[in-house]
Amino acid sequence: MSNNRVSRRQFLGYTLTGVGGFMAAGMLMPMVRFAVDPILQQHEGGDFVLTDQAVADITEEPVRVDFTFEQTDAWYVSEATSSAWVYKEGDKLIALSPVCKHLGCTVNWAGDPEHPTQFFCPCHAGRYEKNGQNIAGTPPLGPLDEYDVREQDGFVAIGVVKENTLVV
Amino acid sequence: MHFIGKEINQYLSQQEYVDTAVVPLLPLDLSATGMKLSAGASEYLHSLTALLEKQFKGRILLLPPISYAKIANRQRIADEITEELKQTAFKHVFYLTTDSEWRTIESLKNVLWLPAIPIEDMDQSFKKSVMEDQLRQVLPLFTKEWSHHS
Repeated sequence: MSNNRVSRRQFLGYTLTGVGGFMAAGMLMPMVRFAVDPILQQHEGGDFVLTDQAVADITEEPVRVDFTFEQTDAWYVSEATSSAWVYKEGDKLIALSPVCKHLGCTVNWAGDPEHPTQFFCPCHAGRYEKNGQNIAGTPPLGPLDEYDVREQDGFVAIGVVKENTLVV
Repeated sequence: MHFIGKEINQYLSQQEYVDTAVVPLLPLDLSATGMKLSAGASEYLHSLTALLEKQFKGRILLLPPISYAKIANRQRIADEITEELKQTAFKHVFYLTTDSEWRTIESLKNVLWLPAIPIEDMDQSFKKSVMEDQLRQVLPLFTKEWSHHS
């Protein structure tokens, strides 16, 4: 026989260590996975919704662009429609949220004939400059929110809402 | 604003700005022949009021629809809701309905009667443009009322 014979005691030792190792790993692996999960979590920053508005048709005049996304309210999943006011500043696309910062009405571009180059809120006559800056003396206390926006295959894609970055 | 707990809190703190109540009046017809039409009208009224609320969120409080059987006494409903609304600070109250019988009730002001459009078979984008057309007919009535009394 060969000279490195495995004794019965050694064989049992190896087997038990091996099996025990697998069992320990089986318990530890999920724990480790749970512990590091927050790091592995994918960030959905690239959550852009494609609209049917061609970028080529966008001018310096804000136009309303609608987009739909799924909205979950407890168990109720519905398709929600939102819109944005999109215009070009030079070559840069800009999308502003139409939600009035006063009490949440929907603002319109040139909604007031007396101020054709401003956003107008019909509820309490709030007004905003084209870049979303609220006009002093009208009810809103802050500028309109902004959307992340980009061009995708020639169409406007709208991302997450963020605070206005155009107003200094 | 919607008639839900969270937004009522906001309403209570901003009553001076939210001066208009919107009450949808919804007839129920549960007979085998009338049910489909009634449901379609309900869907239409619901979409329209939801759009209206979105546009004027900061100035109107959209109450849940008052639903009644088709034989209901409209005059009695009108009196009761008017009485209830007297306890509030609303300066304007609008009633939206698809039920033509309300046109005979004289005591209610600002009843907007709209013939229901069957929207159930339309695809999403067509439905949206139809409803926005409808909304555009209603909006001026609100702004007119507001500019008269403020």
